[in-house]
Amino acid sequence: MRRPIIALSALTASFALATLLSATTSNSMYSQSYPAVVCPPTLGGLSSQISISSTKTQFQRLENRSTKTIPFNTLRYAVPKDSLVVSATGVTPVVWQSRSNSWAGGAICSGPITSAWFVGGSSDVTTRGKLIIVNSGLSEASVDVQAYSENGVQPATTLTLKAKSYSALPLDSLATGDKALTVHVLARAGRINAFMVDELGAGLRALGGDFVNPVTAPATTVVIPAIPNQLPKKGQKAFATHTLRILTPFESDAKFTLELLSADGNFIPVGFDSRSILAGKVTELKISPELSASAFAVRIKATEPIVASISSKVAINGRNDFLWSTPTPALTKMSMAITGLSPLIAFAGDSIDVKVAVTLINGKKSFATIKASDIATWRIPNAARSITIISSSRDTYAGALVASSNGYGYLPITAGSVLTRVEIPHSNIKVLNP
Amino acid sequence: MAAQAALDENRVIAIIVTHDGQIWLPETVASLTSQTRAVDEIVAVDTGSIDATVQLLKSARIPVINTDRDSGFGEAVSIGLNSFERSSDAVTEWIWLIHDDCAPAPTCLEYLLAAVIDRPQVAMVGPKLLGWHNRTHLLEAGISIAGNGARWTGLEPLEYDQGQHDGIHDVLSVSTAGALIRRDIFEELGGFDKNLALFRDDIDFGWRARVAGHSVIAATSAVVYHAQASASERRSVDVKGAFLQRPLLLDRRNAAYVLLANSTWWMIPWIAIQLLGSAMIRSIGYLLAKLPGYASDELLAVATLLVKPGTIIRARRERKENRFVSSRVVATYIPPRWSQIRLSGSRLLDKLRSRLLPENSDSSTSVLESIEDEDLLVPAKGVSWLSIFRKPAVAGFISLALLTLIASRMRLGSLIGGALPASPDGARDLWRSYFESWHQVGMGSSQASPPWIAILAVCASILFGKAPLFLTLFFLSAPLAMMASALRLFKKLTQNIWISVPASFIYALSPVAIAAINSGRLATVVFLIVAPQIPILLTNWRGIEKHSWRQIFTFSLIFAFLYSFTLVAFLICSGLAAIALIGDYQDYSKSRNKTLFLERLKRRLSLVFVPIILTAPYSFEAFISASKFLSEPGMSLSGGPAQLVILGNPGGAGSLPWWLISPLLLIIIIALFTSSAAKTIALYGTGFLSTAVIFSTFSTATHGDSGQSRVWVGTFLVGATLAASAAGVVILDRIRAVLVTTNIHFRHILAALLLVATGVYSIAALGWSLTAGATSPVQSSRSTVMPAFLTAEKDTKTIVLREIGSSDAKSIQFYISRGKDITLGEPDVAPKQLSEISIAVQALIDGSGISSSEVFADFGIKYVFVKLPFGRDVIRTIDSFGGFTRASATSTGVVWRVAGVTGRLVLVGEDGTRTLLETGDVGARTRVEHPGRVLLTESFDRSWQILENGYRLERVKSQQQLPIFIATEAGEISLLHDGTIRRAWLSFEIIVWILVIAFATPSGRRKREISESELA
Repeated sequence: MRRPIIALSALTASFALATLLSATTSNSMYSQSYPAVVCPPTLGGLSSQISISSTKTQFQRLENRSTKTIPFNTLRYAVPKDSLVVSATGVTPVVWQSRSNSWAGGAICSGPITSAWFVGGSSDVTTRGKLIIVNSGLSEASVDVQAYSENGVQPATTLTLKAKSYSALPLDSLATGDKALTVHVLARAGRINAFMVDELGAGLRALGGDFVNPVTAPATTVVIPAIPNQLPKKGQKAFATHTLRILTPFESDAKFTLELLSADGNFIPVGFDSRSILAGKVTELKISPELSASAFAVRIKATEPIVASISSKVAINGRNDFLWSTPTPALTKMSMAITGLSPLIAFAGDSIDVKVAVTLINGKKSFATIKASDIATWRIPNAARSITIISSSRDTYAGALVASSNGYGYLPITAGSVLTRVEIPHSNIKVLNP
Repeated sequence: MAAQAALDENRVIAIIVTHDGQIWLPETVASLTSQTRAVDEIVAVDTGSIDATVQLLKSARIPVINTDRDSGFGEAVSIGLNSFERSSDAVTEWIWLIHDDCAPAPTCLEYLLAAVIDRPQVAMVGPKLLGWHNRTHLLEAGISIAGNGARWTGLEPLEYDQGQHDGIHDVLSVSTAGALIRRDIFEELGGFDKNLALFRDDIDFGWRARVAGHSVIAATSAVVYHAQASASERRSVDVKGAFLQRPLLLDRRNAAYVLLANSTWWMIPWIAIQLLGSAMIRSIGYLLAKLPGYASDELLAVATLLVKPGTIIRARRERKENRFVSSRVVATYIPPRWSQIRLSGSRLLDKLRSRLLPENSDSSTSVLESIEDEDLLVPAKGVSWLSIFRKPAVAGFISLALLTLIASRMRLGSLIGGALPASPDGARDLWRSYFESWHQVGMGSSQASPPWIAILAVCASILFGKAPLFLTLFFLSAPLAMMASALRLFKKLTQNIWISVPASFIYALSPVAIAAINSGRLATVVFLIVAPQIPILLTNWRGIEKHSWRQIFTFSLIFAFLYSFTLVAFLICSGLAAIALIGDYQDYSKSRNKTLFLERLKRRLSLVFVPIILTAPYSFEAFISASKFLSEPGMSLSGGPAQLVILGNPGGAGSLPWWLISPLLLIIIIALFTSSAAKTIALYGTGFLSTAVIFSTFSTATHGDSGQSRVWVGTFLVGATLAASAAGVVILDRIRAVLVTTNIHFRHILAALLLVATGVYSIAALGWSLTAGATSPVQSSRSTVMPAFLTAEKDTKTIVLREIGSSDAKSIQFYISRGKDITLGEPDVAPKQLSEISIAVQALIDGSGISSSEVFADFGIKYVFVKLPFGRDVIRTIDSFGGFTRASATSTGVVWRVAGVTGRLVLVGEDGTRTLLETGDVGARTRVEHPGRVLLTESFDRSWQILENGYRLERVKSQQQLPIFIATEAGEISLLHDGTIRRAWLSFEIIVWILVIAFATPSGRRKREISESELA
């Protein structure tokens, strides 16, 4: 009887041991990295500065044939001409461009895109805007550009870009003569980034300008979290005017409702409840709310996927300028370099609870918690080099408004490049077996 | 009366040639004196007998002429004949040759003379020769010679004489024992050839008589009983030229002499080849039978003749004088090759049959007993052929065959999938893969091919080289083979066919059997077939000293066969040997019998390590790369977790689902607590199961898979399954009698539980196999991974990227293709991937692969192929990198060409210019136009050589670990992979296999060791 019991015990012990040792075997290993981001080139007559969070951040000039990278050695880098490829490692650099005494605007440097919708710009006689398409890859790229206007869908254009090059398309070539433009850039092959500069002028008189920041895809709910509301100065009665530009790019018409979120309260402006728009045609609608707050947000809910943005007219130093406030995705953990800028950040959401860390130029950190409902604004200290969203409540959106001597600008608070988790492929001869 | 008168016209001189023949002589003499037609003259010629032969002859009043002991038979006959003057009467004189070991029947001479009365053309007539001891056995009725020199009688061995060959037949020749030869022709032809002192002189004389225009007949009414004392080594052979007194050597030498001296001249080269070839084959046979003396006789016989061509030339000149017709007249008497093959085949089959199916004397029943009260004239009642299907074994096999056919409906073609790569079209490819020293897999490999490739090549060769057909048939018939093998074992455990047949049926349906077949596990399937035979053969594992060394070597061969497929067999064998050695040591501690302990130790170590030597160098490589001990042929596929394994299910692709639980564990546990032999069997089963459970936690990276795969423990589970099945058989066999005779108690419940569990499992497993199991990984398929245009370029390296795995757990994997899909045997020698290539591929995927194309070009990789479906982002990412140009995009995938000059052999000039050189499969012969470095994009191996103008170029290792050769001048170069080491290993392997087979085969007996009754 002894041997059977020993045998059974051995079996039980081996099973117990095996169960303990048995860790799930997975052949999948991953590498995580932030893809390098691309900043827009500096077009003629403009000046450009890139805010970086670390002097050691590496970059390379787009048109350099060498693929070697070098450090910035500064926290705010003046870009002479080229588009820059920046190894930002998770902190999104911000580019601030301006034309002296004319306009200023900001854009985030971002990773390669597959699709970008620019709701902004114009193709009429006043426009001097450009659609900039950058190919930061080492081989030829192919891009489709599809424009929409108030007259409907325009003929699509396919562009081929050489390796490490960019192309600046005049906006008036996309829907000549049309006023309200929306452009869809679709990358077919290559490492593509796209930027839009909307600049207006009448003769020699500059009418302002701004970057139009893109959205990746149409959605049925969009939130534009930061729209500047320049209050009338003494003696002025009129409030600032804003224009909603909206497009449902697919085949069905849509109905949308616009809700305005401000410190003065939430409301649907007159005429914006279940408003119909035609499919494929860009619609512009004026909004002139009488608000006391310096910034407000809008939330648009539509029956079909839409893209939208709001242009706001502002005056600075006696000159007119405008800026494009665009929708942002919901806040996630991210960091953004803001050296040299001291933006006003507007958070929008039903229940806002955001923890933010601010890193100052001297390296010190301060923390802030923003709690509110509907909308909250928060001014970042002057000496900040970067902000980090440590945590955020659900469905909270944020955008930044920047004022400078040359003009106003808008920045979406979103990561230019997200942490990419790529599976490390492993060698297995099985791939050669049908 | 006319016949009598005719007989009287003949004068018969009997010449008895004696040589130490006292044993047989009395009967010989007596038979001569009792002839119905008495001889006219008689004389005995004694060739120096040293026994009582001469005294016996003298006492019989037979005149004796003494001659030298080394005198040949022909010489003795001449001496005897010369003692008689030629008769002056008008009678025909005949010489009747009598050996001292032959006894003519009383009517022999009468019938011999009667046969030649009306046949004046006959020069020689011979009787029917019957056995001396068994006088019903037919020895000869005329003889001839085969093309390979064999003595040809056209009879079956020990053929029973029923008069089936009776009559008067024209033959090439007859034996000199009892032959009657016309004296005038004998003298005219010069008698027997002096060079043929003994053996084959009869055939030579017959042949010469035939070409001289005479006839030779065999008259079977005349009978002579012959002891064949010289041929069967019953006495020494002392004739001149009988080197070392070896009758076989003399026989073979004389056979060759007869053929070479008498055949037409243009046949001589062909005959010489046949003689040499057959001598070599026979000597190998003798070596295997451990008769080295006979083996050397075979070779020496031909050699002694061929080194003296003058003898043959003289003999041919002499024969030419008396040749009146062409030598080809004998062609009708030379046995056709087909008859020789048929007879050899028939003999081989008889031997096999007698060995495999020994006649069971106990089972024979008397007809009288069976039909005791019936009329003997009433024919026995026939059995309806349909009744055969009512036999459980037949019904079981037929059912299993039908079920297997249905379950294998997706496998009726060239098999592929699971662990099984595509099989090459022909056995030749398998042989090449086995013999070649360099394998074009991945970046190339010099690993030794596993011996199972050679076994598969042999099997495919039997099917005219159709390797895919063999594999299909193998997997189709595997369940039947498993059942047959298990049934043979279970029949030894129970007499009850209703237990053994279902048990063997379930064994063939066990979880491990189903999983092994479904996932193409060659080794496990072979194990399942062979494993039941091991306990049948190795009956005394504990007292192993009872097995002879011959048996030990036989077992070693069987184990080597298993080692050839997987070295898990070595682990199992080592484990069992280690456990047994502990027991041996305990026995030694008690008995202090050192001799016994050492005998056991030697045998056990031989069983474990002789197969290792037999499977070298493949097995030796495992000691360097330990994961090979746990690997199976083909692709590396994960096995199941311990939770499945403990239930007897090896898990992995193609295995039964977890909820289909076999009763294996239940049976083993029940058997552990019985008091029968089932307990011992269950102890082994527990051991196998525990080992399987432990090993199921191991993971290895092998066979071209850099990822960790859980070890497949199917091979261990074969042991557990067999033990559980055998234990179940023993339990049921024993308990049946108890259950029948007792009231219902716990044993009834346990037995019912066991049967119900087994029944439910069997039905469910069958159902699963016929439905979901039919779509298992192994299926017949003709699809390929590589697009056709990539296979057009010979030996082009292509990185292939694929997403592999189930829909919810896909992972990106890659490998380097040599322009084709993987085939059988290649995963087993696949090298590990070089880290530089892995990093470059990873960079392709994660988007940082700016320099990937340069790395690929450095390693001679010309294309990147992404097999669809695959992530579009990665495809776009590759598009965005420099150095890759899209070559095609189809529904099967996207192909990019890697920029730059790259290929297998590249000449890099001093200025860095790269020139692609032509290359073959492995070696190459091409020209370099200027000095430079010749880069070979294969893994570095010391056997790579380049010869330029007869000189070996200096070889260095590049940064990428590739071989580079420094060419100092322009000229022709020859690239080769020196396979000397591989050839040396193969030679070693062949020698070891021959030796072990020789040790394992039963020893042959010298003719002198064969009993006389066996000789007839």
